[in-house]
Amino acid sequence: MTIASTIRTLLAAALAALLPAAAAAQHSETIDIEGVEIVGHRPLKQIGIQSTKMDSLVLKESISLSVADILTQNTPVFIKSYGRGSMATASMRGTAPSHTKVTWNGMSLNSPMLGMVDFSYIPAYLVDDAELYHGAGSVGVSGGGLGGAVTLSTRPADEHGLSLRYVQGIGSFSTYDEFLRASYGNDRWKASTRILYSSSDNDFRYTNYHKIKQPVYDAEGNVVGSRYVEDRNRSADFADFHILQEAYHNTRSGHRIGLAAWYMSSHRGIPKISADYRDDSSTRTRQNENTLRAVVSWEKISGSFKAGARAGYTYTDMLYTYSYDLTGTGEQMREGIHSQSYVNSLFAKADIEYALSDKWLFTADIALNQHFVQSIDRSVIVQDGSSAVIGYKEARAEVSAYASIRYKPTERIGLAACVRDDMYGDSFTPPVPALYVDALLSKRGELTLKGSVTRNYRYPTLNDLYFMPGGNPDLRPEKGISYDAGLSTHVRRQRLDFSAAATWFDSYIDDWILWRATPKGFWTPLNIKQVHSYGIELRASLSVTWSQDWSLKASGLYTVTHAVNHGDPVSVNDASIGKQLPYIPVYSASATVRLDWRKWSIVYKWNHYSERHTTSSNDLRISDSVQPYYMSDLSLERRIATRPLDLSLRFDIRNLLDEEYETVLSHPMPRMNFGFYIGITPKFRNAAAGRY
Amino acid sequence: MRRPLAILLSALCAASCMDFGATEPEPIYDDSLGLFITCEGNFMYGNASLSYYNIEERKVENRVFRRANGADLGDVAQSMTIHDGRGYVVVNNSGIVFIIDPDTFVITGTIEGLTSPRYIHFVDDGKAYISDLYDPRITVYDPRTGSIVGHIETGDHPSTEQMVQWGDYVFTNCWSYDNSILVIDTRTDTVVDRIEVGIQPTSMVVDRNGKLWTITDGGFPTSPYGCEAPSLYRIDPATRRIERRFTFFEGDSPSELAIDGEGGRIYFINKDIWAMDVTAENLPAKPIVQNTGTIYYGLAVDPLSGDIYVADAIDYQQPGVVYRYSSEGVEIDSFEVGITPGAFCFKRP
Repeated sequence: MTIASTIRTLLAAALAALLPAAAAAQHSETIDIEGVEIVGHRPLKQIGIQSTKMDSLVLKESISLSVADILTQNTPVFIKSYGRGSMATASMRGTAPSHTKVTWNGMSLNSPMLGMVDFSYIPAYLVDDAELYHGAGSVGVSGGGLGGAVTLSTRPADEHGLSLRYVQGIGSFSTYDEFLRASYGNDRWKASTRILYSSSDNDFRYTNYHKIKQPVYDAEGNVVGSRYVEDRNRSADFADFHILQEAYHNTRSGHRIGLAAWYMSSHRGIPKISADYRDDSSTRTRQNENTLRAVVSWEKISGSFKAGARAGYTYTDMLYTYSYDLTGTGEQMREGIHSQSYVNSLFAKADIEYALSDKWLFTADIALNQHFVQSIDRSVIVQDGSSAVIGYKEARAEVSAYASIRYKPTERIGLAACVRDDMYGDSFTPPVPALYVDALLSKRGELTLKGSVTRNYRYPTLNDLYFMPGGNPDLRPEKGISYDAGLSTHVRRQRLDFSAAATWFDSYIDDWILWRATPKGFWTPLNIKQVHSYGIELRASLSVTWSQDWSLKASGLYTVTHAVNHGDPVSVNDASIGKQLPYIPVYSASATVRLDWRKWSIVYKWNHYSERHTTSSNDLRISDSVQPYYMSDLSLERRIATRPLDLSLRFDIRNLLDEEYETVLSHPMPRMNFGFYIGITPKFRNAAAGRY
Repeated sequence: MRRPLAILLSALCAASCMDFGATEPEPIYDDSLGLFITCEGNFMYGNASLSYYNIEERKVENRVFRRANGADLGDVAQSMTIHDGRGYVVVNNSGIVFIIDPDTFVITGTIEGLTSPRYIHFVDDGKAYISDLYDPRITVYDPRTGSIVGHIETGDHPSTEQMVQWGDYVFTNCWSYDNSILVIDTRTDTVVDRIEVGIQPTSMVVDRNGKLWTITDGGFPTSPYGCEAPSLYRIDPATRRIERRFTFFEGDSPSELAIDGEGGRIYFINKDIWAMDVTAENLPAKPIVQNTGTIYYGLAVDPLSGDIYVADAIDYQQPGVVYRYSSEGVEIDSFEVGITPGAFCFKRP
């Protein structure tokens, strides 16, 4: 018996042992508490785990932002954004977007075809809790999180009785936002409906430094100079609609049952790059997506046991088209590219936790995903003028089993070990072990040391294996080993709360899957890259309440990420070895300051990324880097309480210093722009006043 | 109150100024015997570039278009042709052809109103054809007036590539999911015939005997259009019949057909670099240049010296390298150029 199979057997045994225990626990006495917090300020579940929990107030107040914006401002994650209403992918600790695993109410959001998540499709408005797990901390969430994992979830509204919130926003570039949440709740039942509709022409003006200058004429028609053209962000309109329905029920016997269903319909133009000389009516690229995600959940806490189960379904159809009009009028568009994909995924998960005492915690879970995907690229086949389909149709089952033991031998020391094993199709990844340690060095200031190590694997996506042309069924899982260690402190006073943390991380990824050109002209994925990623993450936050009227909250982050290519050179002239990966900033930082005075709030946000190289060799002679990025946003809010309703007025200034900039080559970003939001919260009987 | 505000604003500005904006043009001049290399850059990043190699001094200048004009070349520079003292650079995903002075690299004009242009071919001093990846038409351009004067419908063949001329006829290969060479009568600007060859003809040349040569890549396994062994074809353009078919092994990837100045020897990439006399009855047994462990991306032969230029795109995300070999395959020079060097254009003083 190999070590792998031994571990699998142990995992199965652990699950088999724990599941009946959980089932039995359903019949015993229960208490209805919010989550399982085993020990005071340092819960056993968090032993050694580096994580960043997003402030729920930040999520609530970021009504008009996407989760991409939230991660950018509040975590060390680097978001590569192609602009407003365009793709935004995450890179954590120098890894690829597919190395950050994302779940929504426990169900994976990573595309089984692409492996990554486009965070621009996830509005902060639909998320109540968000937490980022760095490095080894992701093993408890999912396999394959070589960079980390993000968990997003919804939860029942706090209010009892009927409550209603409506927010309307209007912004620059003909941007309109509508937000509505209606909820009802009592001790046993909670239901909520959230609707969001966001649309924009997104047609901002910018000076196009990429295109050739245009002549400037005097009154007599003589050329007297030249200047760069004032261009528009063309074909970049978007209209996204979301509806999220939730229902929760707590039974008298302590069972919690929940349903969350989220439907999205998105219609987006892919903006023309600034080096495109074609006008809007001659070519057009669009992406339309419809996605439904639904999860039902059951949870039961009984004494030392907690058991849960979830089942879910995801449907996605996405259509990417490139059209052109030979008349130049935009009225007779023909499709040059018609690329359609369908994903149907079934999901099931069971998990249990058992606290043997206040020193021991055992957890285990098993998750199943069954994907059915179809990729269709319709091209015209010429011999008989007929069309044919290029693409693939595949189904794959994925099973992930996990077990952990957490032990606190003394009040100051915590130890944890876990193991995960992933099966995809008829293949297994090697077992993924992770070890964690946690030590309270000083009670004064809660000075805590945390450390972790893991060996992790990410198996290939369905496009990696089957995409036509180029899919490579012989790919191996990518493998990573990562370590981190950090110190944190937390000081609490009556009017002051201060916390800070510093973490060092170091990871190696081998067999990184990279798409490479073939002599046939198409691209194919290969296990070729080796990357060493290392750096530090610093964060601090401060909260001060001077008086009933005045309070201040400030937080800051600073991250250093070296992500260096250590693979074999692809040819004798390969200059990429030992160089920083493209589009990964070495330095990033952010700061948020919020000042509250009575019914007024002012929030200032600052964000910085250092230079990002656009070549694998970091060569600046033949391709520009993306210049260091500094962004300042400001918002001012006034809350007005009246007898029938609460009003909230907020004015946002984005890009406060009116900078011209790009975040990706040839993708312009808007200069100073504005948003105004009015929030209305009627006061029903029993409804608590809230603000958005 | 004023002082803290001023300090705050100063601090904000100091920590927030982004370095983004104009590129000042610089004067460049080189009227030597030279070689232009069009470098595609990365799709949708707009970082295509033009490199210029001084053949006699063995000196390369990169990004000459941007340096001379203070503007980027655009997205996916596909090809370049020099005609009547003017250089025509076709930039595919920018939908434009730049007309430049080949000695100063300064823009003298543009051709716009194109969908996805690939190559430009001059029929004579008064007419040029522009092929297109998506537009099922070839654009007819009048260089004397600088305007588009018409289109040639290509019917069920939406994609056209290279163009070569034999007498009054221009032949264009249809590569993407196609197996055709279309025949255009330049007197009427219409497609008058079609020659069926193997799957996906990539490139064409005409030899000193007036024979048309094309090479196919054979498609790829699992393609709904089929997959077959790639082939090299010798075609009589007068009868439009295939005279000889040279078949490669299945799985081979021949491409980038080129010919020397006399039209007596053809060259192509098939992992290595191969040369073959136009009178040969078999494919060559040995390559003229052995592969150095990379994927060659472009090939050209100097019509004057017979020197062979081979482009290596390395990983398509860094400066490519161009190797220069003698006609016998002895390395003479190598130099760095832009990202993804794909096509060449020789300049004669």
